[in-house]
Amino acid sequence: MESQLSQVVDALPGLVWTAQPHGEVDFVNRRWREYTGISSDAAAGWAWQSAIHPDDLPRLLDHWRLLLQSRKPGEFEVRLRRFDGVFRWFLIRVLPSRDEHGQVLKWYGQNVDIEDRKRAESLLTEEKRLLEMMARGSPLTEVLDALCRFVESATPDSHCSILLAEPGATRLQFGAAPSLPASLVDAVISLPLNAESGACSTAISLNQQVIASDIMSETRWQSSGWCAVALQHGMRACWSTPISSRNGRVLGSFAILYREPRTPTTLHQNLIEQFTHLASIAIERSQSDAALRRSEEFLAKAQQVSSTGGFYWRPATREVIWSEQVYRIFELDPAVPVTLELIFTRLHPEDIPAFEEMLERQLRDGTDFEHDHRLLLPDRSVKYLHVVAQATRDQDGSLLYVAAVQDVTQQRRSEEALGKLRSELAHMARVTSLGALTASIAHEVNQPLSGILTNACTGLRMLSAHPPNIEGARETARRTIRDANRAADVITRLRGLFAKKDFTTELVDLNEATREVAALAASELNRSRVVLRTELAEGLPPAMGDRVQLQQVILNLLLNASDAMSGVHDRPRQLVIRTEPEGGKRVRLSIQDVGIGLNAESVDQLFEAFYTTKAEGMGMGLSISRSIIESHQGRLWAEANDGPGATFAFSIPCGAENGTVVEGYGVVSTPAVADAEQIMGSR
Amino acid sequence: MAMRSLVAIVDDDESVRESLPDLLREFGFAVEAFSSAEEFLASEVVGQTKCLILDVAMPGMSGPALQRELQRRRSAIPIVFITAHADESIRPRVLEAGAVDCLFKPFSETALLGAVTTALRAS
Repeated sequence: MESQLSQVVDALPGLVWTAQPHGEVDFVNRRWREYTGISSDAAAGWAWQSAIHPDDLPRLLDHWRLLLQSRKPGEFEVRLRRFDGVFRWFLIRVLPSRDEHGQVLKWYGQNVDIEDRKRAESLLTEEKRLLEMMARGSPLTEVLDALCRFVESATPDSHCSILLAEPGATRLQFGAAPSLPASLVDAVISLPLNAESGACSTAISLNQQVIASDIMSETRWQSSGWCAVALQHGMRACWSTPISSRNGRVLGSFAILYREPRTPTTLHQNLIEQFTHLASIAIERSQSDAALRRSEEFLAKAQQVSSTGGFYWRPATREVIWSEQVYRIFELDPAVPVTLELIFTRLHPEDIPAFEEMLERQLRDGTDFEHDHRLLLPDRSVKYLHVVAQATRDQDGSLLYVAAVQDVTQQRRSEEALGKLRSELAHMARVTSLGALTASIAHEVNQPLSGILTNACTGLRMLSAHPPNIEGARETARRTIRDANRAADVITRLRGLFAKKDFTTELVDLNEATREVAALAASELNRSRVVLRTELAEGLPPAMGDRVQLQQVILNLLLNASDAMSGVHDRPRQLVIRTEPEGGKRVRLSIQDVGIGLNAESVDQLFEAFYTTKAEGMGMGLSISRSIIESHQGRLWAEANDGPGATFAFSIPCGAENGTVVEGYGVVSTPAVADAEQIMGSR
Repeated sequence: MAMRSLVAIVDDDESVRESLPDLLREFGFAVEAFSSAEEFLASEVVGQTKCLILDVAMPGMSGPALQRELQRRRSAIPIVFITAHADESIRPRVLEAGAVDCLFKPFSETALLGAVTTALRAS
């Protein structure tokens, strides 16, 4: 019976053995003997230990002794040496057979080959470790080094290398080669990157695996001397595989080298496939990290150069996240968490109410917005900021503002300086224009003065008469006062035009402004035999702007029109000033003459500085007029009439009724005027 | 009592037409005022006028144009020009054309009286 059982056990395909109660092996089956190449006698007792991997033996013996003491079943994993010296992993299961008193009669053991499972486990563990390294952001060279070292440990006697190829590069770059001599690697990467320069260069150039099983008999790459270099360093086999990105771009090569001729097995190819894939992830990740870093650096630099920072604002949670540049603008430590309270500590006190209103409105409306405000810094310096924010929704649908904040202090200061210069230039031009009106102004003043003098003389005479003509004298006194007022009005108007002041924004009745200018110029026009007709639209909405500068433009256009008609003798020198609303949001003023008209070639030059057709002109009038109108966010243009002459016209935005009030410092009526004010630096 | 000499005034400025007649009447002249050259020409006093006080610049027919028109009509009314313009080049031109005087506003009572007297003498 027992010999029958032995025969059966002997014939089992697994490795089976038995041992005495104290552990001495007394039987190993045929499969066991065949695998280890050890005979039953050579395995008997404790002699089987020679089949165990020396690294695993102490652990195994400890475990086995514990089982013998405890008399319980158990398992252990060890490497068993095959007859040819190759170790494979086995799971050893041990079961005791006991009598009715629990005493062990015999131990039965079975060894199951778990090499494939162990290998898969080890590969998975390694893959996980490498992926973790990448996720932690370990440098690429460290990841590639670890990868090579693992493959070298999984394929004994091999040497691994990873070389990198940038797009369009002419040379390979070093990636990792932990066990290869540096002189070999240096020699390889000094060769040009093409299909003539060795296994790795060829694999990369052709994007296909290159197997050199025996370099000694290789006929490829002779011209480059690669084989000689490899052989000098004792390498006989080299298998090189391209590492490709997800979109098929070749990133480099992964090579396994041996000191004896070899051809890859399926096991090798599986390893190569798995680890070139991991290498591609590592390289791509590193490249995209580098690109991201470059992009972030670029963004930070661009933000710094343009004095523009970015921030997120999540109104629901009051969370604010700033870019570094915003911290720099606010002159705060980037380590400090941003809160609305912190922002308020830096706001210019005068801008706080408008800022609070803006916050409330945005919380309520959740729309895109722009906001201007100032900062008052601890050193009492002031910064001007311009914020542009776009409303978006995050994943859970709550409102999120993505915004840019720009430090416009420098711009504002330049605009202020420019605005001052413009005002001064406009003033100079105005004084010059008024110079041309001297005769007209003298006429305007002389007329009432004459009345005053005549009336006073008449009054005196009436009072000196016998009897005195009291009623007549009273009448002449009344006329004296009336004429004096008339002279005073002229002086008041003139004083306004001669005054030198900065650009101011107010509601301007364009009709009234036109009437005043027409009155000042009336005598001059009269002297030039110009017939002036005014067609001023009733109920014209007020314009927004600087009254004096607008009057300057009207005066300039009026005098130009008069000059343009000085050579006209065959028709009445008629001049029409017209005001009219334009599309609800703008008003237009046009001045139409019947003069020499426009020359098609020079019409473009009309508004250029120093362009003039007049002998005594400086050519500044129209240029300055256009600059004034453009600073009102308006347009000044000229066109030829259907009949003789030309029409000059400007159109500018209307005032507050049609505008909106914009938050922030200063009051702005419409975006157009906001721009105009910015240009003129009036805030 | 001798019939008072008629002085006509042509000026587009209303204040002149109000003040000047009163002053001249204080000196004993008969005065008629007109707001334009055309109005004066159309009136019945052209033939009786002994002195014409005439504004230089007016809408429509100007002072010098009226002067020429009167000469064309062979009228010898002595003319005293008055003007609020500061441009003095007008004076020799109108004097050369036969005017008695050219006064720049504002002018004194004496200057006016002197010019009118000279004109009346000339007529």
